[in-house]
Amino acid sequence: MVPAEYVITDEEKEILQEIMNIAFGKAAADLAEVINIFVVLSVPYVKVIKAAELPDYIRHEIRDFSHISIVEQNFWGEFKGSALLIFPAGAGKELISLLDDDAEASVESGSIDLLEKETLMEIGNILIGACVGKLTELLGDVVTYSPPRVIVENNPREIIPANLFDQDYSAIVMKTVFRFDERDINGFLFLTTNPESIKWLKESLYGFLAQYE
Amino acid sequence: MIKKILIVDDSPISRKMLKSCIPKDGGFEYFEAGDGLEGLETFKEVRPDVTFLDLTMPVMDGVQALDEMKKFDTNSIIIVATADVQVKSLERVMQLGAFHVLKKPPTKDGVQDILRKAADHKGQLNGPC
Repeated sequence: MVPAEYVITDEEKEILQEIMNIAFGKAAADLAEVINIFVVLSVPYVKVIKAAELPDYIRHEIRDFSHISIVEQNFWGEFKGSALLIFPAGAGKELISLLDDDAEASVESGSIDLLEKETLMEIGNILIGACVGKLTELLGDVVTYSPPRVIVENNPREIIPANLFDQDYSAIVMKTVFRFDERDINGFLFLTTNPESIKWLKESLYGFLAQYE
Repeated sequence: MIKKILIVDDSPISRKMLKSCIPKDGGFEYFEAGDGLEGLETFKEVRPDVTFLDLTMPVMDGVQALDEMKKFDTNSIIIVATADVQVKSLERVMQLGAFHVLKKPPTKDGVQDILRKAADHKGQLNGPC
């Protein structure tokens, strides 16, 4: 039985969903400022699942991608967890030219894999940083980030170790699906929080909403 | 004069937040819709004085709803209330005839300021009494 303080109510989910919507909108605008791209946003989705089910949940969500590229970044403050930005494999190559005007020359010189990783890392850093940053700003927290880690063309089955969280607890998964319009690339952003954050999160969500009472 | 206000947003929390920023003593009549299509239908039925319209919504998104609303009534005052603050998104909705873009999360000052502008604009459209 999950203790009540770790249970997220429907109202709390709705508040979190709206905050996630604002946060990812900010992230998309930040990215559009840095590179010439338009990000098509979708309605964000918040789900609370058992930590043990998390790897299977994410594998199911990205089932259409046979191979994937992942940017992973951890964050910690009162709000603590992991962000996973997931693209189909090869997306990095598509996106290189947006960040690097000399991409063709670089590709010819054979450094495509390195460039792809750097591109994904840069895009991941902007999207994750702006999204998590805005989310925590709205909730009155400041977080510290680990350096982003890029895994290219990994098998989707390997992305999340089953023992990431204590298996008895809940994990909050915030999912946003987005599309880079000019490049026809879809991706997912998952934010997962660890159970220690949930009590703080619940209080902060109502604190945020109290401004609008 | 503004009497009828329509709020179109898929998030009930977002609708509540926006509504809380509108002066309580304004005597407004509120209408709400949870997606673009429902919003468009309510818009045609109610003929609101001001519409607040989200962009990222299921069934019909706000861009399409805005386009349809402006085709139905070119003089309608539609305020896009959105978290999508990309320059291209803002340019697109202004081209389609949005009156103003209100960035989420809304603030009391921001909402009240734009409602005043909307009331002035409506007064000009209706001409001197």
